This record gives sequence, structure tokens and C-alpha cells, in this order.
Amino acid sequence: MNDISKKPTPVPDDLSRPFWAAAQERRLVVQRCAGCGYYNHPPRVFCDACLAQDLRFEPVSGRGAVYSFTVMHQRDVAGFEQDAPFINIVVELAEQPRLLMVSNLPIAERPKVSIGTAAEVYFEDRGDGVVIPQFRLV
Amino acid sequence: MWQGKGKTAIAGIGYSEITRKPGKPLGLLAVDACRAAIADAGLDPARIDGLATYPESPFAGAGNRDGEDVVSVNWIMNHLALAPDLRWYAQIETGMIASPIIEAVNALIAGACDYVMVWRALHRPRPRASGGVTGHGGPPRAAGDAQFLAPYGASSIVQTHALAWQRYMHRYGATRDALAALALNSRRNANLNPRAFFFKDPMSRDDYFNSRWIAEPLCLFDCDVPVDGCVALIVTTTERARDLSNPPAYIAGYGQNTARRRTLLYYTLDDYMACGTSLANKLWQSAGLGPRDMDAAQLYDGFNPSTLYWLEAAGFCAEGEGAAFVRDGRIALEGELPVNTFGGSLSEGRMHGMGHIAEAVRQVTDRAERRQIPDASAVCAIDGSPMLRGSGIIVTRDP
Ligand SMILES: [Zn+2]
Repeated sequence: MNDISKKPTPVPDDLSRPFWAAAQERRLVVQRCAGCGYYNHPPRVFCDACLAQDLRFEPVSGRGAVYSFTVMHQRDVAGFEQDAPFINIVVELAEQPRLLMVSNLPIAERPKVSIGTAAEVYFEDRGDGVVIPQFRLV
Repeated sequence: MWQGKGKTAIAGIGYSEITRKPGKPLGLLAVDACRAAIADAGLDPARIDGLATYPESPFAGAGNRDGEDVVSVNWIMNHLALAPDLRWYAQIETGMIASPIIEAVNALIAGACDYVMVWRALHRPRPRASGGVTGHGGPPRAAGDAQFLAPYGASSIVQTHALAWQRYMHRYGATRDALAALALNSRRNANLNPRAFFFKDPMSRDDYFNSRWIAEPLCLFDCDVPVDGCVALIVTTTERARDLSNPPAYIAGYGQNTARRRTLLYYTLDDYMACGTSLANKLWQSAGLGPRDMDAAQLYDGFNPSTLYWLEAAGFCAEGEGAAFVRDGRIALEGELPVNTFGGSLSEGRMHGMGHIAEAVRQVTDRAERRQIPDASAVCAIDGSPMLRGSGIIVTRDP
């Protein structure tokens, strides 16, 4: 994608800091409930499934499948005005049903993507110390 | 069955201009709509002693200056001469526009007030949606849940709807033909509705398929038309309504719901359907009526696939059969189940469900102009995507 300097930068907060710190080390971690084992993403101050507050970030496989996808053509998405049309995929991680993460695909991948296509994590360096998880088709 | 069935009615309808080039601020459009509704009911404005609205901006990040971008209870109270001391008001944060009507019905039955004015004023946001992104001048910054979406350019509600529709097509083998049938039906009906934004613009099947993509698989004509405008309604008790200018549209049932969503990141097709099905069940139970009793259905269509989801969630057809249901003119004015007989949000304009309710009222009171369904006795109007929130009412010709 062009002009990555203008892409929105994630602002880590107390909840999400471990997620982005791990991404800088090229590791994918997700907040998990120590009580019931549920993965919460985005992270929460209590478990969305059982309300427990004992929550820890754990490594996940980074493997999953395309849950859905869309090609955005409208040039009004902040930081992506010059990128349209661009693809968003939603990946369902192998660890839990509907544990979903959003990612981009190069537009050239359009003919290859469909619901159920296997995907795996990689890490994109956005500069200035910002590294974000992305997914590619496998 | 609900004990309030038939005890209240909608007695007046008022529209401002529905426009993309407003000649006046939104608050003044709201004044136009409210005055028109009061006059339509044949009421003295001093009798209006209750106010209710759902004042939200069209989406997060749009402007919210009172009287310019939104029109609150407080703004109307300060700028319209109504009852000198209002007895009751409600400003609803969720549920969309049938929810303030539901609150008004409850207040009227409880005797909290006598005549409630409910309005919905909406502006066309300029500039575009921010999607939770801030940081003018420097690099845009995404905080909160947006930090997991905006860095990927996934900040717009139309993308969420495109993702759900993609899954629907995959799950049921549906194609864009279903959306074309819905869009063309709405445009044809709007061409019979003088208030509709697209009153004078017909649409052909080629027009639909040649329109530009917004978020594939949704095209321009799968999105509602953003407008400035306001619609207002007068709600009162059945006894009082019978003394006013119009035949009453009796409120036979209501329902609302908020979603138990099953993923934190965004709303999925499953969330839409679960919320919608539960809402519709409450609606049917309250009225003691079912989908077969409806002479028409006004179904929320902020994005075109929602109409299909509502047809299934409300039981007009089985889940997954919506695409087959909308074929062959079944949803046309002269069909088995006329849908969005006024043009819907797609072709009348984005009034967040208020146009749907106004049309349901017109149909059961023989005020639907060239769109009138002969002897329509019961019509539902349901709001919501259906996701996060939704609400609906059934209006009937007889109490
Ligand atoms: Zn838990």
C-alpha cells in the first residue's frame, strides 16, 4: 500500500500495550481469561464470557481462515484514500469460534480470496516503531 | 397478547423537505416537520404536552451540534410554542425511532401526557466519517477498539455490512440479483411518493448493475441516500385520536431488542439475525398477529441486505430463502407482500426508519396516494439493521 506514513497509528493503552509490544517482537498474543479460557479481542477489563478479571496475554498460533472479506472502493477511509480499492479480510483464528481479527490483502490477491481460505499471520512494519499483525493467504 | 393493544394511535404525519441541498439548518427543517404534523392532526400546538425523539447522528464521528446536526427534545422545547409546561419527554439513545414511539405509547397509557410529538431529524454528514480516528495535521491516531480496525482501513459501517452480506451469499448461495430486486422495487415505489428524494428518477436493472462499488459486494444503490430532513408524528390515546382530523392508525403491537453479540470486534450476520428474530417474535406476540396477517411490510434498509435479513428474521420467509422470496414481483405494490411501499431509505432518503412508520400509518388510513394497497388492515414497520439495536410497531385500521 502507498503512503504508509498517513495510515492511522494504533494508540496502545493499558489494556492493549502487551498486544502491540508482542507485535514489535513479531509475536501474536491475545488476551485470555484464566478462569474460563475465553479469548477476548479487543482486550477487555473483564472477561466477556464470565466477567472474571484474571486476564493474561497468551501466544496464539496465528493460523485461521477467512471469515469474510470486502473490497473497499470508496475513497473516504482515513489514511486509505489513495489505496482504494483495497481489501479487508476478517480472519477467524483457529483457537476459538468468532475470535476475529481484521487484516489487509494486496489487491492482486482478489481472485484468490474466498470465505474459508486458510490464512496465517505476518507482521508489517509501518515505521516509527509501529508493527502491526497482518494476515496472508496460505 | 399485550394489554395496550389498540389503546393508542398515530394521528398526524409531518415531513420537511427531504434534500441534499438544504436551504435552512436542520433545526428549521425539524420545525417544518413538527408544525406540519400538528396541523395534519388538526391540533392546537398548545395541546402537545409530550415530546420524544431518537436524536443520534447518522454514525459515530458525525457532527452533533444541537439544531444544526441533531435536534434534541431540549431544542424543540425551546424553539416551538407547545404546551406551556411539558408533562413528559423521552430522549432515546438506542433502539432507533420506533423506541421513542414505544415510550410515548407507554406514557400515554399511563396517563403521563395526552398528545406526544415524536420526530427524527437527520443531517448528511460533511465531512466524512472519522471511524474513531483523530489527529488533524499529524498522522491519524486510532484509540480504543478502533486501534484494531482503523490501521487496516476498516473504519466504515458500510464495510461491516459488506462483510455480513458476503457471508450471507456464501452461506445461502444468494447473488446480487436479490439486492437488485429490492433496490428496483424501492425505486419504483419512490417514483410514486412525492416526498421521496428519488421521486423523479427511475432506475433500470442496468442502472443498478452499472453503479459503482462502494464496499464490494455492496454498490452505490445498496446504500441509503444521505439527506437532510425531518419526519414528525403525533401519537395520542385512541379516544383522543378519534376527535382529530385523520382516521387513527391504531398501534396494535410493539417490540424492541438489543443484540447479544457473539464477537467483540464487529457485528456479524449471526448477530444481525439473532437480534432481528427475537425482536420480531416480541412484535408478533404483542399484537397477537403474525407475518401472514400483514398487508405490507416496511423494513429498515439503511443498507439493502438488511431488508432481506428482516424478511427472514420476521418469518415472512424461512432463513436463507429471502433471495428467492423477493423474486417475481412478490414484494411489489400489487404483490403478495408489498415491501417498503414508499421507497425505503434507499430511495425516499435516510430517515432512520421514520419514513417506514409514516408509510405504515398512511397505508392503514387510506392516505397512501398512488401507492395505496386496497383495504390494507395491518402493516408493520421495523427499524434496525438488524444488529446492535432495533424496534418496531404494527399499526392497524381497526383497534
Ligand atoms: Zn472468562
